[in-house]
Amino acid sequence: MPFFSQADTFTQLWPAIEHHVRDVVNRGKFSHGPKVAELETALAAYTGARHVIGVNSGTDALVILLRAAGLRSGDEVVVPAFSFVASASSVVLAGGRPVFADIEPDSYALAPDSVVAAITPRTRFVLPAHLFCQLADLDALAEIAQRHRLVLLEDSAEAIGLRWRGRHAGLLGAGGVLSFFPTKTLGAIGDAGAVLTDDDRIAAVADALRHHGRPGRTLNNFPAINTATEYPGLNSKMDDLQAAVLLAKLGRLDQDIRRRNHLADAYTERLAGCPGVLRLPTMVHSASSRVSYVYLIEVAERDRLAGWLAERGIGTETYYPTPLHRQPCFAGLGYPAGACPVAEAACAHALALPLYPDLTIDQVECVCAAIREYYAGGRS
Amino acid sequence: MTVPFFPPDQFGADAEVLVDLVRQVGLDPEQRFILGRRTRELEDLLRAELGVADVVACGSGTSGLILILRGLGIGPGDNVVVPAFGCAPLAASVLAVGASPVFADVDPWTMVADPVAVESAITVHTRAIMPAHIFSVMADMPAFRALADRRGVRLIEDSAVGQGAVLAGRPAGTHGDAGVFSFVQVKSFGGPGEGGVVLTADADLGAVVRMLRNHGQDGVHRFTHHRIGYNSRFDELLAAFQLHRYPTLPDRLARRAEIAEYYTERFAPLAERGIVAPPAGRDGRCYYVYTLLADERDRLRDHLADNGISSHAYYPLALPDQPAFRPFAGVGQSWPNARSASARALSIPVYPQLRDADVTRIADTICAFTPTNREKPCPVA
Repeated sequence: MPFFSQADTFTQLWPAIEHHVRDVVNRGKFSHGPKVAELETALAAYTGARHVIGVNSGTDALVILLRAAGLRSGDEVVVPAFSFVASASSVVLAGGRPVFADIEPDSYALAPDSVVAAITPRTRFVLPAHLFCQLADLDALAEIAQRHRLVLLEDSAEAIGLRWRGRHAGLLGAGGVLSFFPTKTLGAIGDAGAVLTDDDRIAAVADALRHHGRPGRTLNNFPAINTATEYPGLNSKMDDLQAAVLLAKLGRLDQDIRRRNHLADAYTERLAGCPGVLRLPTMVHSASSRVSYVYLIEVAERDRLAGWLAERGIGTETYYPTPLHRQPCFAGLGYPAGACPVAEAACAHALALPLYPDLTIDQVECVCAAIREYYAGGRS
Repeated sequence: MTVPFFPPDQFGADAEVLVDLVRQVGLDPEQRFILGRRTRELEDLLRAELGVADVVACGSGTSGLILILRGLGIGPGDNVVVPAFGCAPLAASVLAVGASPVFADVDPWTMVADPVAVESAITVHTRAIMPAHIFSVMADMPAFRALADRRGVRLIEDSAVGQGAVLAGRPAGTHGDAGVFSFVQVKSFGGPGEGGVVLTADADLGAVVRMLRNHGQDGVHRFTHHRIGYNSRFDELLAAFQLHRYPTLPDRLARRAEIAEYYTERFAPLAERGIVAPPAGRDGRCYYVYTLLADERDRLRDHLADNGISSHAYYPLALPDQPAFRPFAGVGQSWPNARSASARALSIPVYPQLRDADVTRIADTICAFTPTNREKPCPVA
């Protein structure tokens, strides 16, 4: 059982995928073209965002969002110590300096108290990341941002479908992002991402930055190459073939989310009370909806359990083995071990189990049985 | 009938292969869609074909330049000399790593960086020079190689438009410490999405670029990030299609060259009428687009449009005149040839799908252009 597969989904959706793919081939524009525009419109309808700007990846989306939101060289951005590296490396790539704050134990997202403690006179942004199945405490973070005159941006790369009191992730502050990395809730078959914002100014700059800093309408508009270069930009255009796959999958996203939540419930029923399992996913923010993108548990002897499952053909992932403040690439920032204890504890125990719409309840049972067997003494 | 500037039917019969590859990749048992076995195969193929130390597939030609600059350790306080005429990434990539672009003027005829101007722009802060092949002509790479060696700076070859071209027996992309190709659809080996490769003669640089393209990971220890990296990866779908198309690339390049040679022959007599073709011959020519210098560029463009032929005036501003890069235009410097190229360059279609009749009509239409105050009749082929 692989950690991830979308092959069954892909087979079921092939008629719709083929329709969109042929549309791309017939129109002959393979990046930054009309299919990307169609996807942007569909995502704007799904999320309620005023602007959706398709780019090459979630990482690029973060870099572009930070720059478009006005990050200046040397600005400090408070980010979580527990996340994918892009939550912090994007700040460096945009010219800023990440400042790490600890997380809450159950939401795995920025702990508001720790954010307040990390604020300095140079702090200009706070960038929570939403991980696994629920949103960060956006009420508390928005209040802190307002009180300290910070701009709230969201690393909502994993958070499609998640809403805070009905408002989609990425739209609770000045802007957010989406990643369409293949394993994501809405996944392409290659790299793709998007910036989400209701802010016209941020959208206009982000739009230009993704296409060599050329302002105005460049999507599917070749003569725009003649436009003056207003900003030192990037090349971060989305492929139309990826947009084609995403449009087909977007049509059944809500159904896929229900399926994911159903599978997650099945895991929780079977793992509750299991010896060795230290923590199961728990919703702690009632204002957040639930989308089980990743089924993450904390366990004793994590690496040995993962190896034991791998021997039985069960794929797992370790999200994340090392907290960001202890990564070699951030060693220069000088954070000691113990600086973010909750993040460090999570890194020691966290294990993600297979969770995707193609999975069956029988497979869930198989994974849970293997875990029970391990802690019942099978390991020895 | 209208001749578009780029082919509407990009891949011909290969379009059906593309649709099938989307299905194959989507259903692949490995379910690995990025930096998988097909990407590796494409890298290995290009490395063997071009005889370089390493080829690293990445997100685009632009991001390839950024990866090279970072891989060479170029950053804040450093300067990189780039041509004053060309595409924005020449300057934007340098700014993306925190270094400063220094602009050098170009050759008035070929529009590529002038080695004399580049040398005079080198200072104690210069870490690299980055000439670019542009339109139909490769930069004078042997001269730049000698210059880089003499002055102790790195040589980065912006070969985004140059794949398939050869200068002095050496393929474009392999003349510098590192170079790039772009596979965006309009390029000579254009594909169905954004992608590129870094080529390098330096295996150590290749290893660093490989790490930087995927978030600073070493490919062994997942989620250990040794350096601040990028997401600049390569999709398996693009790799699969490029592998399928590689064997037929020489035919398409030959067709581009044939069309370009015909144009150059037809346009040779137009110089006295204010329309100058690129130099003749195939050595150091590249076949991305075919670009003329026309004194009355906008009138010629309108004349072509009136006759159903799309042309394109790239880069209407020299790079140091662009709003984004003005802060880096040195005081007292000037780029007369770059500015002249901005006002005079006009590109015409040169893609392999053009039929002979299209090519003849394009050439005839240009020869029939009557410049203001010039009465001399145009020669006929």
